[in-house]
Amino acid sequence: MDFINILEKGFWAGFAALGFAILFNVPQRTLLIIWAMGALGGLLKFLLLGVEVNIVLASLAGASLIGVLSVYAAHNKHAPPLVFSIPSVIPMVPGAFAYRMMLGCMELIGTSSNSETYLKTLAETTNNGLKAIFILIALSAGVAIPMLVTRKDTFKRIKSSEEQEDQ
Amino acid sequence: MIKTLKDIREAEAMLLNVGTLLMSSGASTGRVRTTVNRIADALGYNIELLITNRSLMLKVIDEESDRFIASLKRTSPHGVNFRIVSGISRMSWKVIEENWSIPQINREIERLVALPHYPRLVILSSVALAGSSFCALFGGKGIELVVAFVATFFGLFIRQESLKKRFNPFVSIFFASFAASLLSGLSVKLGVGKSPDLAFAASVLFLIPGVPLINSFTDMIDGNILNGIVRGIHGLIIAFAIALGLLCAKFLFNI
Repeated sequence: MDFINILEKGFWAGFAALGFAILFNVPQRTLLIIWAMGALGGLLKFLLLGVEVNIVLASLAGASLIGVLSVYAAHNKHAPPLVFSIPSVIPMVPGAFAYRMMLGCMELIGTSSNSETYLKTLAETTNNGLKAIFILIALSAGVAIPMLVTRKDTFKRIKSSEEQEDQ
Repeated sequence: MIKTLKDIREAEAMLLNVGTLLMSSGASTGRVRTTVNRIADALGYNIELLITNRSLMLKVIDEESDRFIASLKRTSPHGVNFRIVSGISRMSWKVIEENWSIPQINREIERLVALPHYPRLVILSSVALAGSSFCALFGGKGIELVVAFVATFFGLFIRQESLKKRFNPFVSIFFASFAASLLSGLSVKLGVGKSPDLAFAASVLFLIPGVPLINSFTDMIDGNILNGIVRGIHGLIIAFAIALGLLCAKFLFNI
């Protein structure tokens, strides 16, 4: 496993996250944390890919790490978790797979359906498309579930309404 | 204190304003609901809220006088702005802790809306840096990163300009995707670097609908299935617009 290569990729993932953070106009105090979270999520994903974990699971792990960290960051920096998690998770979006799936679809339109290459392209396109879709689902699940699990809001509301009934 | 009809009307307008601002700035449906509920609670009103993607319907009830007002507001179409989401969320806690009045809340909202964005050049260059980071993540090196940087910079510039000229948002995305892939496609045609294909794929990634797609999923598992579907389709249309731009550039260069 090439550790320097993985470190470098984590570093770049941080910058991709930072670019989107600025595009989404996040408050300045959150920028550094978003860079770090993007880099950590990317690092975990590429580390897992390095030990030959399935890419969907690796993305899920990376996104879950970001999701959990975003809840802590939200408490410390007083901004909702999604401000941190959405920009940080974007570097893991399966752009390359989606791109290849689209190229495959375009090729399929151009070739006749009973040729040998058609089946091969079809198989590759299905594979790329399914990977793209499942990685996307894994990313949003990884980010969304920690937010929902740790949300104290509902608890607070229930408690305050009970108190009102007591009075 | 007994609330007059005017008080209820003021509260109604303010709460709808908060809700629509949050919705158009990229908050999930659950967050809009909790925030509006929290502020209404602090002011002593009961509310019922219907949230759809493009409009909000709110009924404010004053239990004491048994009066209510219901009205509807369209969400404004401006884009993702997490500074507003975070500012309103902070404000909603202050409303509870410091017992803010409605004029005070309105003043804070005005301040939040007027907060400046990052300077244009900073946005352009940092998103361009994100474009070259994507290229590096795919395994690109050296000159390919530069190509991705320039193409993303140009693409985002075109998107901002076409949004300024009030083109349809999806058409603006098509223009941006086409512009970025024209530049990076040129590098593929001329054979710049070892694998110019990576820069080509990375140059349109700044357009990916990250906020609609992630919010779509959050909404769905939160039980707001209809809103989730609407957001998902919205993200899908954006993806199609990107693909169309790429396709046009590919056919032009015949690559």
